[in-house]
Amino acid sequence: MTSLLQARRLSKTAYSALWSLPLPVWLAGFFLGPMVLLIWLSFWDVKNFLLTPDFQLENWQKILTAGYFWSAYARTAVIAASASVLATLAALPCALAISFFLSPRARMVLLGLFVVPFFTSYLVRIYSWQIYLTENGIVMKLMAAIGIETGSLLNTPLALMVGLVTLTLPLVIVIQAISLLSLDRTLIDAAYNLGCGPRRVLFATVLPAARPGIVLGALFAFIFSFGDFVTATYLGGGKFTTLSILIADTVKSGQQWPRAAVVALMMIVTLLLTALASITYAYRRS
Amino acid sequence: MSQAHISLKNLRKTYGAAVAVENLDLDIEEGKFIAIMGPSGCGKSTMLRMLAGLEESSSGDILHQGRRINDLPIWEREMPMVWQSLALFPFLTVRENVEFGLRMNGVGAAERKHRAQVWLKKLGLGEYADRGINQLSGGQRQRVALARCLVTEPSVLLLDEPLSALDAHLSVQMQGELKRLQRELGITFIYVTHSHSEAFSMADTVVIMNKGRIEQAGSPEDIYLRPATPFVAEFLGGSSIFDCTIRPRKNGELVLESADGTFKTDALKTAGLAPGQHVSLVVRADQISITPAAGWADNEVPCRVIGEEFVGALVNLRLETGAGTQITVQLQQRDMQTLDIEVGVGVTASWHPEDGHIITE
Repeated sequence: MTSLLQARRLSKTAYSALWSLPLPVWLAGFFLGPMVLLIWLSFWDVKNFLLTPDFQLENWQKILTAGYFWSAYARTAVIAASASVLATLAALPCALAISFFLSPRARMVLLGLFVVPFFTSYLVRIYSWQIYLTENGIVMKLMAAIGIETGSLLNTPLALMVGLVTLTLPLVIVIQAISLLSLDRTLIDAAYNLGCGPRRVLFATVLPAARPGIVLGALFAFIFSFGDFVTATYLGGGKFTTLSILIADTVKSGQQWPRAAVVALMMIVTLLLTALASITYAYRRS
Repeated sequence: MSQAHISLKNLRKTYGAAVAVENLDLDIEEGKFIAIMGPSGCGKSTMLRMLAGLEESSSGDILHQGRRINDLPIWEREMPMVWQSLALFPFLTVRENVEFGLRMNGVGAAERKHRAQVWLKKLGLGEYADRGINQLSGGQRQRVALARCLVTEPSVLLLDEPLSALDAHLSVQMQGELKRLQRELGITFIYVTHSHSEAFSMADTVVIMNKGRIEQAGSPEDIYLRPATPFVAEFLGGSSIFDCTIRPRKNGELVLESADGTFKTDALKTAGLAPGQHVSLVVRADQISITPAAGWADNEVPCRVIGEEFVGALVNLRLETGAGTQITVQLQQRDMQTLDIEVGVGVTASWHPEDGHIITE
């Protein structure tokens, strides 16, 4: 009897172990491993365009004291933050409408539509924006038709924002909508019940209650924009050197993989800190 | 005649073809504690939500101090509610939760803070003002929900099963506090619950609803001693109900004839009851005793014991008569031993003619 029970217990343990196996394997193989390699690489040396294992601090000194690194860092941060704010503000009315004014059926259809952009490669979508924004492109002609003369819109901050919002908006809308949909509607009734009129309820109750989702959406937009290479390259024309472009340049010029690793690690640390700060803020009380 | 604080006149609420509340008439006096009870779906919550403005009435009037408020939006009704889920704002601190209603009504920051603090202290939450809602216990949250409503100094407080999430001990403690608060403040409490003990321990008036209608409204004592309908007697539980017909005896005395035998009841002497009339006889569990053998008393019914339920020092004995009527008897724990009762044995239940309440149909 006991042995049978023991055997059963054992097979149960084995079963749950089998199912929990992929997670640590995946984490080790695709996250921890590369991270360790990256950190290790950042201390290597490059001799005659050849990577040489080493342990020296020169890469870190070079990058962290370089003015071009910090200006790229600041530029990337400003661009990502702007895109994040823009996407959040653009998404809010949509997410509010989806969550509060649509029938459940229309809501499902619309949320489904926000997945459609992901059917097409982001690169292809950015290429199409080039055609829209280029000299004598569709946007420029339309603007001219209503009497606004513009030059080429390519390689402007506007083009950058268009590209990054294209990348992030659908995701931000979906995250915000999920957060607004899971909001306890009794809280809104309770606010009304305490004398909060419909014009104040948005800022006094709905948005504060949905803050975790709104902050999380903004965080995702920031993370995607911070590391983006495609928009900066094809819509910014390399005019705006972001950290991703800096990494590419560093690798191209003289096989400086170790210095590129330093830049990449700085990006990772920045994003981790941003994520930590955002999540802390999202769940803090007013 | 003094004007009722809140009056419901012919109030009705339908959802399509389904009737949630049917032609409700109710006058609520100022400063009273009203408990509204009934089974799930009886319309009690719908009625409360109509009062608060969360549901629109289909027809009829809701009067607040004589003024019709049906068309007032929720935020202008000034009838704060303690919600079943409490609905405290998780993104605000305890103090900010309590200040919310004042903030919405344009009370300045300093006064808001002061008034919130007064109420938090009064409810024993003074030191928790800067905590988050999730850092409080169930009972503390309950008090925050109360403070959040009472700080606005309303003339009426709506409570929607506020204690249902608390454990039994805490619930009893809160019942005492609620009653004390209501008495001190002298404001009207309208309290929806499905719990008998909550309703009967706190309320001045108990309203029993069924299928969207009021079955009976009265003092707890009145409802307990004189249930107006078989539904009320059954809903309150602990009573045995016999379907009877009034029959005259040769000496002119009226008796009740039922499938379980013929019963003498003093209540038959009241005027207005005629032979042939169909009535229900309600006998409370504490009025029925067990006699070891037949022939000792009036109103004897032979039964079989089908269940026992221990409630502290008392035992609720469930019996079934030969005709299938269920009878509940309340005994002292020690009587169980002397009478040697166990499930399956035959016993005789009896009650005095002066006990027993008649419900005409």
